[in-house]
Amino acid sequence: MSTDRPNASRAALSRGLIIAGVILSVAAALRLLSPAHISPEIAHRMLGALLGAVVVVYANAVPKALTPLMQMRCEPAAEQAMRRFTGWSLVLGGASYSLAWLIAPLAYANLLAASLLGTALLLVGFRVARARSGGVRN
Amino acid sequence: MSNVFKALADPTRRKVLQLLRAGPMSAGDLADHFDVAKSTMSAHFAVLISADLIEAEKQGRSITYRLKMSVLEEALLEFTQALGIQVGSPENDKSIANPNSEER
Repeated sequence: MSTDRPNASRAALSRGLIIAGVILSVAAALRLLSPAHISPEIAHRMLGALLGAVVVVYANAVPKALTPLMQMRCEPAAEQAMRRFTGWSLVLGGASYSLAWLIAPLAYANLLAASLLGTALLLVGFRVARARSGGVRN
Repeated sequence: MSNVFKALADPTRRKVLQLLRAGPMSAGDLADHFDVAKSTMSAHFAVLISADLIEAEKQGRSITYRLKMSVLEEALLEFTQALGIQVGSPENDKSIANPNSEER
């Protein structure tokens, strides 16, 4: 009836290793290709966009990682709402982080990208704090 | 991924997912929202479970269903709902029309 937890853990570990491998490979490739084949600006932008994409990939899976009902210490509906809110906020935050690195002027890209992702994190933190203080039921 | 598209292609299954957004529900509570046989509902649940969009947990004598959708899958649900996509009618879906004949 319940999912196969050891298999899920193995899959999560494999996915984590693959993502880490991709990040390191892309970073190494950009370092090797810049500045001879790729301009430093493009290399910088691609790395920023990649980091945003990693946030999107991880945040996308947040609502899917369920805690067994028996182990839950809060109302299941509230926990589900929190997971969905966190997932959506961080996916949008990560996507806007990538977009900012890709299209904003380089001088402002870092600040804009960090502000957008930071806003998403703050929203999640605010919601968690409200839930812990009993302000949010679901 | 094709399992996800198959699961989202049916309006009844989409309605189940929308109901589960409010929180976990028992099989009986979910079935009350639909005017179909319990076996048909069970077949719909089986399709959603095989697509990994919901999870069933046994609590005592009842089964509680919970939403298990990633952000992308939920966006896909909204998209198919907005377009009213329905790939084949439920009558043509052999696994739903004859739930007992479905391979588990």
